[in-house]
Amino acid sequence: MDFAAFLDQAWASRNLILAGLGRTILISAIAIFFGTILGVAIGVLLTYGNIVVRFVIRIYTDFLRGTPVFVLILACFYILSVAGVDLTPFQAGTFALALFCSSHVGEIVRGALKAIPVGQTEAARSIGLTFPQIFRYVLMPQAMRQILPTWVNTATEIVKASTLLSIIGVVELLLTIQQIISRTYMTLEFYFLAGILYFIVDFAIERAGRYFERRVAIPD
Amino acid sequence: MPNKLKIASLAAFAACAMAYGAQAQDKLQEVLDRGKLIVGTGSTNAPWHFQDAEGNLVGFDIDMAKLVAKGLFDDPEAIEFVNQSGDARIPNLVTDKVDITCQFMTVTAGRAQQVEFTIPYYREGVGLLLMADGEFADYDALKAAGGDVTVSVLQNVYAEDMVHAALPEATVDQYESVDLMYQALNSGRADAAATDQSSLAWFMTQSPGRYKDAGYGWNPQSYSCAVKPGEQRWLNFVNSVFHEAMTGVEFNTYAASFKQWFGVDLDPPQIGFPIEYR
Repeated sequence: MDFAAFLDQAWASRNLILAGLGRTILISAIAIFFGTILGVAIGVLLTYGNIVVRFVIRIYTDFLRGTPVFVLILACFYILSVAGVDLTPFQAGTFALALFCSSHVGEIVRGALKAIPVGQTEAARSIGLTFPQIFRYVLMPQAMRQILPTWVNTATEIVKASTLLSIIGVVELLLTIQQIISRTYMTLEFYFLAGILYFIVDFAIERAGRYFERRVAIPD
Repeated sequence: MPNKLKIASLAAFAACAMAYGAQAQDKLQEVLDRGKLIVGTGSTNAPWHFQDAEGNLVGFDIDMAKLVAKGLFDDPEAIEFVNQSGDARIPNLVTDKVDITCQFMTVTAGRAQQVEFTIPYYREGVGLLLMADGEFADYDALKAAGGDVTVSVLQNVYAEDMVHAALPEATVDQYESVDLMYQALNSGRADAAATDQSSLAWFMTQSPGRYKDAGYGWNPQSYSCAVKPGEQRWLNFVNSVFHEAMTGVEFNTYAASFKQWFGVDLDPPQIGFPIEYR
């Protein structure tokens, strides 16, 4: 392995690599953001909804969690276009990841809310708080401590799952790297570089998660 | 996910899509009205479709698509390329995401039931790459050496049988990636590298004088572009473009592209009686 030649090629391709990395981060950020918002709503409905709502949402989460992300991405790209919704590969792929993310976050939130003793809600209600207030001041602060570590897990999964978007032609980091490899024949070197870049992104998410965990922790 | 499963799920989607896909207006007219050609192709296989150092899509498949655009609009650049993986070639055609796929697509009877192939624009095969100053002069020398020859090849279930079809006694060393396969040849761990003729030809143009072709090709397969089934007029049009590129008015464009990507000068078709009927 000629390290100098690799650095040469990597430097020559820096703009392409950065563009690919940027797209991976953008896809992941959008999917995680909307997936989390939708997921919190799902978690609340799964915990406090009436039986009909719970049943419908349960089917939604079980279907999404039981389907490979890969199939979900293909479905959003091909099935939706047949149904008349013509999304670009970027939109379809990000949409699929957001749906996938929402089902996981929904389960995480449900679990965290269920773990809070029911007596707390009763106590809050007895001092006259409305449900939005109970959720905001009593349940969520406690649930956050449960949610954050597993949420970090889901977020890093989404970053990794974004590599699958290359199959529908989204030029994210992995496809960018494959394009460079096809020109330079430096397979192992560039895959190694891709590995490092993905690690950096996921590590940053992990550190951010830790930071917020400390913020919501019970002070010593 | 295993590749088979990928392909199966894609095929399933394609089938669903096909059931819905209503026949709209004539494709040729649709493309002309739109003013640009939408071409499905990849971006990770030199010299067929890949990115040059500036990030432009180039290669022999790309040049074929440009010939079609030139025929349509008198402008080879009037193309929108849709980046697709090899697995997406057929689904993207049947769901009308692309007008045509030019992505080193091997013609098989099975595929010909799902899409319609144009006439072939290249005949692919497996070849053997040797060092120019190596021990063996050509294919005959390799064959005569029998079991004393080591051939490097890209890892594949059929790799061993593929090499043995040409060199029955050779030792076959399989490598994980293309660069390692060539590295084995460079370092002398292998006497020859066996891979697609087009890849060999392209690799040789990259470092002239360093390598040579052993002069034997086997495992033939035809590469064609493909269009959605039932678009006969559109198919006829593309066929005419390719036919005239290989034998008629656009021969010089085709030959220049052939020279650029495969390093081979083509003889112009003989004037007089059309060569294809001989």
